[in-house]
Amino acid sequence: MSQFDAIVIGGGVNGLVAGTLLSRRGKNVCIIEKSNRFGGMASYSVDGGPSLAHSLYNLSPRVLSDIGIDPQHPVLSGKPVSTVSLSEDGRHIVFKNEGIFWSEGTKHPESDAWTDLTQQLITYGGLLRQLAEAPPPGGQKAILSRGGLNEFLRLAKLGFGLKKLGKSEMRRFLQVVLSNVHDIVLDDLPEGPVAGMLAADAIWGSATGPRSPGTVFNLIYRLGHGGHITQPVGGMSALTDLLVEAAQKAGCVLMPETEVFRILLDDDAVSGVVTTDGRTLTAPTVLSNLAPKLTSRMTGPSVFDIETMRRVRNIRARGTAAKVNLRLKDGSLLPGLPDELARERLIYAPSVEHVEAAFNPAKYRQMSKAPVIEALKMQTADGASWLSTIVQYAPTDLEGGWTDTAKDQLAQIAVSTLNLALPGLKDHVTNTQIITPDQIENATGAPGGHWHHAEMSLDQLLTLRPANGMCRYSMGPKGLFQCGAATHPGGDVMGLAGRNAALAAMEATP
Amino acid sequence: MTVENRYDVIVAGAGHNGLTAAAYLARAGMRVLVIEKNDWVGGAAVSRSLHDGWTYSNCSYVCSLLRREIARDLELPKYGLQVIPYEGGASFTRDRDYFAYYSDHNALKREMARHSAKDADAYRGYSQGIMRQCRFIRPFLLRDAPDPASLHPRDLGELAYLVKKAHGLGSRELGETLKFWTMSIGDFLDEHFENDLIKAHLAGSGIIGTGLGVYSPGTAYVLLHHYMGDIDGGIGAWGFARGGMGAISNAIAASFKDHGGTIHTGSGIEKILSKDGRVEGVALEDGKVFYAPVVASNMDIKRTVLHHIDAAELPDDFTKAVRNFKIRGSSAKLNIALDRFPNFPAAPENTSFLRGDLHVSQSLFELEKAYDDWKVGRWSEKPYIDMLIPSQIDPTMAPTGAHMMTVFVQYAPYDLEVDGVRSAENWDEKQRNAMAETVLDQMSVACPDIRERVVHMEVRSPLEIEREVGLTEGNIFQGELTFDQLFFNRPVPGWSQYSLPIKGLYLCGSSAHPGGGVMGAPGANAARAILKHETRHGRMKGYAA
Ligand SMILES: Cc1cc2nc3c(=O)[nH]c(=O)nc-3n(C[C@H](O)[C@H](O)[C@H](O)COP(=O)(O)OP(=O)(O)OC[C@H]3O[C@@H](n4cnc5c(N)ncnc54)[C@H](O)[C@@H]3O)c2cc1C
Ligand SMILES: Cc1cc2nc3c(=O)[nH]c(=O)nc-3n(C[C@H](O)[C@H](O)[C@H](O)COP(=O)(O)OP(=O)(O)OC[C@H]3O[C@@H](n4cnc5c(N)ncnc54)[C@H](O)[C@@H]3O)c2cc1C
Repeated sequence: MSQFDAIVIGGGVNGLVAGTLLSRRGKNVCIIEKSNRFGGMASYSVDGGPSLAHSLYNLSPRVLSDIGIDPQHPVLSGKPVSTVSLSEDGRHIVFKNEGIFWSEGTKHPESDAWTDLTQQLITYGGLLRQLAEAPPPGGQKAILSRGGLNEFLRLAKLGFGLKKLGKSEMRRFLQVVLSNVHDIVLDDLPEGPVAGMLAADAIWGSATGPRSPGTVFNLIYRLGHGGHITQPVGGMSALTDLLVEAAQKAGCVLMPETEVFRILLDDDAVSGVVTTDGRTLTAPTVLSNLAPKLTSRMTGPSVFDIETMRRVRNIRARGTAAKVNLRLKDGSLLPGLPDELARERLIYAPSVEHVEAAFNPAKYRQMSKAPVIEALKMQTADGASWLSTIVQYAPTDLEGGWTDTAKDQLAQIAVSTLNLALPGLKDHVTNTQIITPDQIENATGAPGGHWHHAEMSLDQLLTLRPANGMCRYSMGPKGLFQCGAATHPGGDVMGLAGRNAALAAMEATP
Repeated sequence: MTVENRYDVIVAGAGHNGLTAAAYLARAGMRVLVIEKNDWVGGAAVSRSLHDGWTYSNCSYVCSLLRREIARDLELPKYGLQVIPYEGGASFTRDRDYFAYYSDHNALKREMARHSAKDADAYRGYSQGIMRQCRFIRPFLLRDAPDPASLHPRDLGELAYLVKKAHGLGSRELGETLKFWTMSIGDFLDEHFENDLIKAHLAGSGIIGTGLGVYSPGTAYVLLHHYMGDIDGGIGAWGFARGGMGAISNAIAASFKDHGGTIHTGSGIEKILSKDGRVEGVALEDGKVFYAPVVASNMDIKRTVLHHIDAAELPDDFTKAVRNFKIRGSSAKLNIALDRFPNFPAAPENTSFLRGDLHVSQSLFELEKAYDDWKVGRWSEKPYIDMLIPSQIDPTMAPTGAHMMTVFVQYAPYDLEVDGVRSAENWDEKQRNAMAETVLDQMSVACPDIRERVVHMEVRSPLEIEREVGLTEGNIFQGELTFDQLFFNRPVPGWSQYSLPIKGLYLCGSSAHPGGGVMGAPGANAARAILKHETRHGRMKGYAA
């Protein structure tokens, strides 16, 4: 007899969701997390500073309801955050539901064009969400086989959704989704900070620039849940605490500070895991929150055929986003920004070309000298005030490595870049924290410190995610599943990968 | 209206695709007139003599994509077409070494092993993978792209064919195919090889003619686009048309005329005439007017729709989609008359590989940087060059003892940046010469004496290519080959089957599926569509039917 029905390796957002869902369906589940804190990348922080992930835009209501979290929970009822595209001339641009405005309040001339484009992308996002809430089409099941009927019906539903769009919209969808954000945005908008903001939202965490085909998909993915942004009340760790609470309530056994070292196999099936402190835990089902490369390392490569191992090795995951947290003097305002905008989401991306130019050095293992930045002002639990920033591009494989000098350089670049649009900001910064992709990898295991564990490019999406032949969450030996961001539909604080994986595991062992 | 100026079909432009469409239609018994603005035919498949004794393939320079079904249907060999395959090629290094590409498998393996034993082993898997993709795609070239939004039996039929073909691959193979179609050539090569020079050598075909870099997703498909042709059954093989690429167009033109067709050169079309949503004919720049119920445009979609049709005749959303069609100039060309064969100090004596395509790019990074230069409106500091000396194989191209060299240059922007201003008008003589110097420097890596060998040189910027051939922005494929503009998206969603929103108006050039290159497929497919919709019996005869 096994100790558990299922073991989840890794207590990131997706691991927690997968474990909780299985528990709620009557399984006896254990979630094993190597660090002393659950939440993985989302809530990873250094010395009580702001966490890696700092905003919610893709948290899935379907997931919340499946794991029994009230969508109205106080942690989730933070005030919606608007986006502000920063401008060096001090005329910042504010994006709201009802249109876009200059910071002084008048309507921006590109408002209508922006609204039309965004609404269209949000509609497409809704379609992709249907796909995201189920395993991707195809996979091991032959398209026209017997088991393919359900599959067919599901696709037909998507087809129906497409049909509802009408012929010409459906055609446009099939074109836009394959396109690059540079073209789609500049077809409808002039070059500048409005277009730049959209380009920025298409490249977060990825090793692509706006001209790279496929980037529109990323933008649509980001808008998949309507495009609303909030900050969890109490910070990202409050959200992950909520997930932990849900797991406990569902009856999961949580094991922090326990690192899995090996996945045990019995013939062609998994039988449990061994931890680095020598404990053996048994279960006929194991879900791994880690990327395929790490998971296959834990089983040993011999259980996979050569072709599968080749594919796993070739999954691209070059992290490009770094976190730079700027500690502000107590009571600091942000210079150059009206008070009421100080708590919004600030983007520095003055043009599409700026974003593309920022990407150039990353291709050659250099950091951007003029990066793209997302910044959110926040307070940590100790009352300290911070500007939490995501700085791109900072490639994980920086030439010469992420030495202290390189990190200092990155911090300086981030501050002086923001200082262009917020003149005087420099003088408000008392301290900086720099979290580079290599450090994210060390701390959480995310390959290359990649935002989504694996690049979200068209050749690694849907049926091809994380790699051809393993899109149905199962992997290699019987009973082994993947449930992390590397699987369909992908990362973000969303939870769908974990949920879908749990459902796939349920289906395999009802 | 007199009989002399009335036809069944008018083809606007005598590029090889226009001629192909015309030839099929003439063979089907229609009275066809082709109108060409230049004094010669061929468009970008043309041979011209600009310096006594030498013949240049001024634009396109090598042949592989031309569908053999078309060559057979139109009896092109009978009309003088002869394609001679060439073998091999090389990439030279800056320190006087080279990587040679041989078509002989064992020779290639030995040469690869000289650079990397691992890569020599990997090559087989790599080339088999590409071959599989080629075999999958080839049957689609002479078929219509189905409209996924349509329930018309024709579209369902084509979709069913696609599903059947895809299903035949098996799900695993289908996944590999999807992946291949969407990834970058750089990533694809990185998956297989380790050696920079080998990767750079193989990557070139992935970026030729595009506004993409080797690491842009979709470039693996572009590579495929260059490998899906054949010569005498050798898939992926390339060759020279004897007498230059114009020989192809000339043979098609001869076949056309032999079946009663007429070609009118020397005056371009000013306007495609239409009334009440129905095409009526064309008005030429020289004032002549010709009438026909069907007009097939060989011009690219942008030129056709935005310059030669009354906007009021077209739905706004269609015009908008055409305006947003991406057709970016990214290539330049040098055609050089050489007094004798240049010296390639790195190459062994009497080697065969100098008869093939020669390059000097050192790594994928160097190629990617060449793309970065283009993005900001400059020609590449170290461009990718594809140079060949066809006169080694085809002696008709140059006087005895002398040679002709064709040098394709990637990247050169259309809207060149000078002093902070980006404009095509910046391409003056000075800038053109400056670009030529950059290219000659780059060529010197392979043949340091190149400058001393030059007797005459034609330097073509994207602007010249646009002015002469009409290719908007000088884009060699009449539109980018990116997924959003391929298959059912080409040229614009909803209009992938050759007809356009005015009754009787068709597109028969490379802006249509399956795209650019000297292939003839868009022309043949358009002829099939015209016969189906505009004639009673409605069927095209021949292999391409
Ligand atoms: C700089 C940056 C900023 C981001 N900002 C946002 C944002 O603002 N909003 C947003 O929605 N998303 C954001 N993301 C993305 C988001 O954080 C991730 O996509 C998401 O958290 C991934 O969750 P996961 O559960 O799949 O994986 P992870 O969070 O990586 O979880 C994996 C877990 O496994 C554990 N583990 C690893 N190895 C072992 C082992 N051997 N044994 C046991 N446990 C192990 C790890 O400690 C970790 O907890 C950001 C990402 C980055 C890099
Ligand atoms: C520099 C260069 C190198 C290339 N190299 C190769 C290669 O090596 N191999 C290969 O396979 N492909 C190559 N290509 C691509 C290939 O040549 C083209 O894609 C192909 O020739 C296009 O053929 P087409 O018939 O569709 O159009 P085009 O050749 O563009 O024909 C259009 C015709 O319309 C005419 N026209 C334009 N406007 C008017 C008007 N108003 N009235 C009347 N006529 C008009 C033009 O003069 C032209 O003859 C190259 C292209 C270029 C530019």
